[in-house]
Amino acid sequence: MQADKDQHCITLKDVKEASQRLKGMVKRTPLLKAPSSMNVEDKEFYFKVEAMQHTGSFKFRGALNATKSQIEQKKTPGPLAVVTHSSGNHAQAVALAARLCNTKENPVKPATIVMPRGAPQVKQEATKSYGGEVILCDNTNEARQETADLIMAERGATFIHPSENPLVIAGQGTIALEIIDQLQEFGLDAPDAIIIPVGGGGLASGNAVALRGLFSDKIKIILAEPEVLDDTKRSFESGQHVKHRPGNKLDSVADGLKTTLGPNTWPIVRDLVDDVIIVSEEDILRATKHTWEQLKVCIEPSAGVGVAVAIGKEFNSKYSTNQGIKNVAVILCGGNVDILETAKKMEQMGL
Amino acid sequence: MSINNTDDNTSSGKGEDTLDLPTYDDVIEAARRLKGISHVTPVVTSRTLNKSLGISIFLKCEQLQRMGAFKFRGAYNALSRSTGGGVCTFSSGNHAQAIALSARLLNRSATIIMPNDAPKSKVSATKGYGGNIIFYDRYTQDREALARDYIAQQQQYHGIAFSFVPPYNHKDVIAGQGTAGKELMETVQTDHGIQALDYLFVCVGGGGLISGCSLAANALAPNCKVIGVEPEAGNDAQQSLEQGKIIKIDTPSTIADGAQTQAIGNLTFAIMKRRVDHIITVSDDELIHEMRYLGERLKMIIEPTGCLGLAGLRKMVSMDQIPSGANCGVILSGGNVDMDRYCDLVSSSS
Repeated sequence: MQADKDQHCITLKDVKEASQRLKGMVKRTPLLKAPSSMNVEDKEFYFKVEAMQHTGSFKFRGALNATKSQIEQKKTPGPLAVVTHSSGNHAQAVALAARLCNTKENPVKPATIVMPRGAPQVKQEATKSYGGEVILCDNTNEARQETADLIMAERGATFIHPSENPLVIAGQGTIALEIIDQLQEFGLDAPDAIIIPVGGGGLASGNAVALRGLFSDKIKIILAEPEVLDDTKRSFESGQHVKHRPGNKLDSVADGLKTTLGPNTWPIVRDLVDDVIIVSEEDILRATKHTWEQLKVCIEPSAGVGVAVAIGKEFNSKYSTNQGIKNVAVILCGGNVDILETAKKMEQMGL
Repeated sequence: MSINNTDDNTSSGKGEDTLDLPTYDDVIEAARRLKGISHVTPVVTSRTLNKSLGISIFLKCEQLQRMGAFKFRGAYNALSRSTGGGVCTFSSGNHAQAIALSARLLNRSATIIMPNDAPKSKVSATKGYGGNIIFYDRYTQDREALARDYIAQQQQYHGIAFSFVPPYNHKDVIAGQGTAGKELMETVQTDHGIQALDYLFVCVGGGGLISGCSLAANALAPNCKVIGVEPEAGNDAQQSLEQGKIIKIDTPSTIADGAQTQAIGNLTFAIMKRRVDHIITVSDDELIHEMRYLGERLKMIIEPTGCLGLAGLRKMVSMDQIPSGANCGVILSGGNVDMDRYCDLVSSSS
């Protein structure tokens, strides 16, 4: 897997810079060694609990790196304005990043978040509670982008894409640096493998760049995806960048993983990742419940996708302890979930 | 080790000068014994929580401890200091798992006397760690008598010496639990630059955790006020401190299943009298509110008993009893709760 690193939108250096930029402002979330009830065979899982990150998901890292960089690079006078479209974790992350970066010396306006009209009230309220301004639009991709474009033009706002912005990707990659650092306390230099959920690919690509930059091919990088949202799997297997199957209703409980790889994240996934493993909706919910009960961490189903792969048959047969895969890091990407609603779904599935 | 010596709960006959109480040195020893065995659990802070209460809170996450509760510390410390082929104890759940796991790690067999209404997950987890269970009715049977009889039978008919490690009224158990408080206070110093906590909130069942932690507080932060929190229906420790003697109550009906003890022990009473500032109580509703908050906002699954400390802190803040900006430690004691029960409880809150 010879990666032509010049073609990738970021390098390890960008991740290290992000790490410096984010210092003291992002949480150095816990890396938890799994209780024995969660381990499979002789493996040891190490869970990076990004559910405990500010705003409840890893998204805050990328959003903050992008916002802070904008301030550093800003040449025009007047406050910085940022805009994005998202109804999920990225919305809250950008809202808080803007609020935290707002100082007298470098004013930043409340972030503008474009959301489709059907977006859950809870998510709109959460975004507002972090200081974001919510603007609703029609529920189509075109409408979202048009509204965002309008705001960029009218307010001179900078658009922060949830997964394609290189500064966002570099921000997400800081997780890998922390994991490596925290593993030292367990007497380990590096994990043998890492499992990362994939939606738009920001988390996956940022961490892949960081880990390949530090350890070359030593670590197995495995992406975890819902079967129902398998664009990454199909792209990876065919070597061609493909989107969701036509007519795909995107009906997955992993609501944070519905977006697809883009022109920046795809090449990194294509070149640096070892494997993409898909899991069923039932496996995702089962793993999510298992994590709640055994790890005592409230994760959202999108994070359960990673756990489902970690404890599942495919990963363990392909990457067994016999083959030297013993210490496995798993990124628990977020914890923004309605526990009661999700518990109902689990019950309906007989879990 | 006979049960009577260390577990004579209601007697005030033995003068306190003659009680063999643990000291902070015992906590330091326990920390050495537990090093590399127990987890140094994270201390979590929340900007939102601090802002809403106007203080600085440090949550010690013992739900992330081995077997999901702080109990592992005391059980392992005590068991590693005792001899014999087996260990026996009685427990409402977390101590059971703690003893079973500790026994497995130390290659001993474990028999636990457990209430028949203990949460399913606690029962199966105990069995999962290799524990052998004898069930009893917590409202009508005497668990101490059952334990005594069992140990006698094992010795008489099988020639196996079983040591008894009670859930809280035991020098080594108390010292082990104290390592949680020690770690919290050290972390607050090294990671947050705070020399000493102003308050430490700890849940109270039998008093093992608060006793151990108050030994640590006294050594590391002598001006820190240690506040105990009990469920309203189970305020025997509060009554005991107020009346100057151990008060025994009927098994209280509360969702805090880890704090349904009928009486604190003579050891824990002696330490609490000296070191605990006072004890407050909270309602089951307040516990449910905390469970929901911790789950939704802080992404932590905490069992009802584990929420006592934070609920107590919130109550005192609401009564203007905590100065603004105070540094407050809270021990989240455990997270062992069936998800079904968790969802039932959390959905019942408004």
